Amino acid sequence: MRLVQGNEAVVWGALAGGCNFYAGYPITPATEIMEYMARLLPGRGGVFIQMEDELAALAAVIGAAWGGMRGMTATSGPGFSLMQEHIGYAAMSQTPCVVVDSQRVGPSTGQPTMPAQGDVMQARWGAHGDRPALVMTASSVKDVYDTTRLGFEWAYAYRVPVIILLDAVLSHMRENIELPAVAPSPEISQPTGGMSPPFGPYPFVPFSAATRTIVSGLAHDESGATRGSGIGAASERILQGALRQIEKDASRIARCRTDRLEDAEWAIVSYGITARAARSAIDLLRRDGVRVGLLELHTLWPFPEHIVREVARKVRGMLMPELNLGQLVLPLRSAVEGICPVSALGRADGELFTPEAIAAAMTEEIQQIEVGGRVSHHA
Amino acid sequence: MNSAWHGDPLRVRLSGRGGQGIILSGVVVAEAAMLDGKFVVHTQSYGPEARLGASKSEVVISRREIAFPEVVLADVLLCLSSDAYQKYGGRVAPGALSVIDDLVAEAGRTTGEVVLPLRRTARELGNELSANMVGLGALIAIAGIVDPEHGRQAIRQWVKPEFRDVNLKAFERGMELGVARAVAP
Amino acid sequence: MPEVGEDLKRYLRSEMMPTVWCPGCGHGNIARSIATALDRLEMDLGQVAILGGIGCSGRTPFYFNTNAMHTTHGRVLAFATGLKLANPRLTIIVAMGDGDALAIGAGHFVHAARRNIDLTVILYNNNIYGMTGGQQAPTTPFSFRSTTSPFGSIEPAFDAVDLALAAGATYVARTTTFDFAEMPEFISEAIRHPGFAMVEILSQCPTYFGRLNKLGDAPDMLEYERDHTIAAEGSTTQAVEITRQDLLGTLPVGVFRREIRPEYVHQYAALSRARGGNYGE
Repeated sequence: MRLVQGNEAVVWGALAGGCNFYAGYPITPATEIMEYMARLLPGRGGVFIQMEDELAALAAVIGAAWGGMRGMTATSGPGFSLMQEHIGYAAMSQTPCVVVDSQRVGPSTGQPTMPAQGDVMQARWGAHGDRPALVMTASSVKDVYDTTRLGFEWAYAYRVPVIILLDAVLSHMRENIELPAVAPSPEISQPTGGMSPPFGPYPFVPFSAATRTIVSGLAHDESGATRGSGIGAASERILQGALRQIEKDASRIARCRTDRLEDAEWAIVSYGITARAARSAIDLLRRDGVRVGLLELHTLWPFPEHIVREVARKVRGMLMPELNLGQLVLPLRSAVEGICPVSALGRADGELFTPEAIAAAMTEEIQQIEVGGRVSHHA
Repeated sequence: MNSAWHGDPLRVRLSGRGGQGIILSGVVVAEAAMLDGKFVVHTQSYGPEARLGASKSEVVISRREIAFPEVVLADVLLCLSSDAYQKYGGRVAPGALSVIDDLVAEAGRTTGEVVLPLRRTARELGNELSANMVGLGALIAIAGIVDPEHGRQAIRQWVKPEFRDVNLKAFERGMELGVARAVAP
Repeated sequence: MPEVGEDLKRYLRSEMMPTVWCPGCGHGNIARSIATALDRLEMDLGQVAILGGIGCSGRTPFYFNTNAMHTTHGRVLAFATGLKLANPRLTIIVAMGDGDALAIGAGHFVHAARRNIDLTVILYNNNIYGMTGGQQAPTTPFSFRSTTSPFGSIEPAFDAVDLALAAGATYVARTTTFDFAEMPEFISEAIRHPGFAMVEILSQCPTYFGRLNKLGDAPDMLEYERDHTIAAEGSTTQAVEITRQDLLGTLPVGVFRREIRPEYVHQYAALSRARGGNYGE
């Protein structure tokens, strides 16, 4: 048992996932991640480099992936905005990598030290064009460790940039957790042959003497060719292929945790740090005899529609509190349209919701629905 | 056991001015509570706030897994500076215990506020920056929030070697201040 | 690209020909010089990676029979830095345009030079944005026209050699597409150089820069290059002054720096070893 900070848990989770390359740029509240990496990676034979900006940080990670190392970077809002260009490049070039975004209040410089969940839509749609997206979040230090480790597994399984959304509170929070023994970097077997095409539904093969791969952000086919008729269709086919594979594996990818939903008439759907206040809110509401449960989402994108629908069929109404002015509530509403009403509870002032505030919003929603209306809250 | 500081979860807020080692004292409480076999969550205010003006560090301690990680109303408060007192002095639960430095002029007017010479004691020890540990010692002696031996272990674990001795000494002096206060009503 | 002999064909991807470059463009000559340099150095193609940014020069990676990355506008050196650190045995050649290296990518350019990481930058400088149709570049000389400086540029031009020297590049050279002998010679030397090497090559863009500034077609522009450059080894201070005052001016060409300074990957490997790691072994 050890007292571990959220940002430190990112590092141990990453190392457990085989991460041996880190490029970054300092930014509150993510900086400790790179400070830990700077101390740990040289002695483990990995690479740490501080780049000149966040664009360069993610570019170096992508370059390193093609050089055969497993890389990540971490940032916060302003840096995450800059990284969108290369999140798009990583998606287009099917380059596995992990990007951690410790969310703070925006837009712009906002409140650098205060928590938010305002990058949920940017994580999905921030880069121009359509792309497969795999975005996870966490609500405890242990979750941070597990999620980061899993991030590397999925980045390579699906050849996508995996985005992990934390927040300013979780990054700096310490909890006592059981950390698995620090193993030396696992030997990750990487295919070395040039036998399968370099792009499309095939394993990621870094550059070697046997390959002659051309990596490009231009539309390309499975061979990497960027010219000729049908390149547009080929590019769409490759990107959609990744998207469909992720959707096909949705039951594995869509991680969530439920709490007291068995007999629930009402559900709070939440994620990240807010889900912890929601769990306490359920204690308060249950004490008053309200049968309410929690659905905590760990995977945000692809949005776990099948899970929220299943819950929606059993309850009379849902509440989604989030530290933004209404982001993840949009796909939630669209998924459960016609099944059950959803209220939104949002704030973007840098404070967490207290359990009392969430309980009060749930109570108000229940009253509104019981008199027959639908309602939308904004704190 | 009617005091707030014997409840579960126990919500501890440590506050002061940036540079007084407030975050470190929170980490020490969290580590000690962990050694007691509890679940702990430590959160901190950070960044510019940690260097200018009031700074805070919070620990929630429980026998069960902790849901909400922050402290709204504290059961136990340590306050080392006037600006922190103005900000957090009133944000305590009914029956809370507050240990406040005696250089905070306004303190001591409310029930549950124990005013002690934390910074002056630290200065006597030759290091005013150890006032946080004097305060922790006093808090632990009065409220018993963690096992004092685990408090010492936590200091050894988290304080840099060159400051370890002075911090341990400060902790003991704080315990003495607290014990004297706890027996004399 | 101009015709290449059988000896160079193995370096190139025949299936990618013809190139995107316009008739008369100087970039094909630069690409052929890269192939010539690889041949002279008897490089194992499996150990070479060619990277490019965005723009006309950025297409270079497509034409070589090596592993290659066509990256994003201006940021190729950051990709190259990651690739080199992950696979130090690779010889990495980076094709950049003048807008790529000196406008959108200037920040990456100076920091790669500062680190002295073992990369070879070939800077294709045609004084204009070609791919987007002839807009002003940071290298467009004062008073010269482009589609976004239709009345003549009112900005001083950037000198890439000056910048590379100031940023700490340890091999810095300039030549022109007029000089068929010097191009492969400088490129070979730059590839062999253990550190950050930059060869700027003035290249003609008859389609935009030539037409908009009435400089004639490709042969006229090559003569222009010949007539407006002087061999100048060593300090460029004086010559740079001339450039700024004198339009396209009389640019010094030659090798401006050959210096051995600790290289970044070696420095990192030493750090790793000192910390008990086995990076680079």
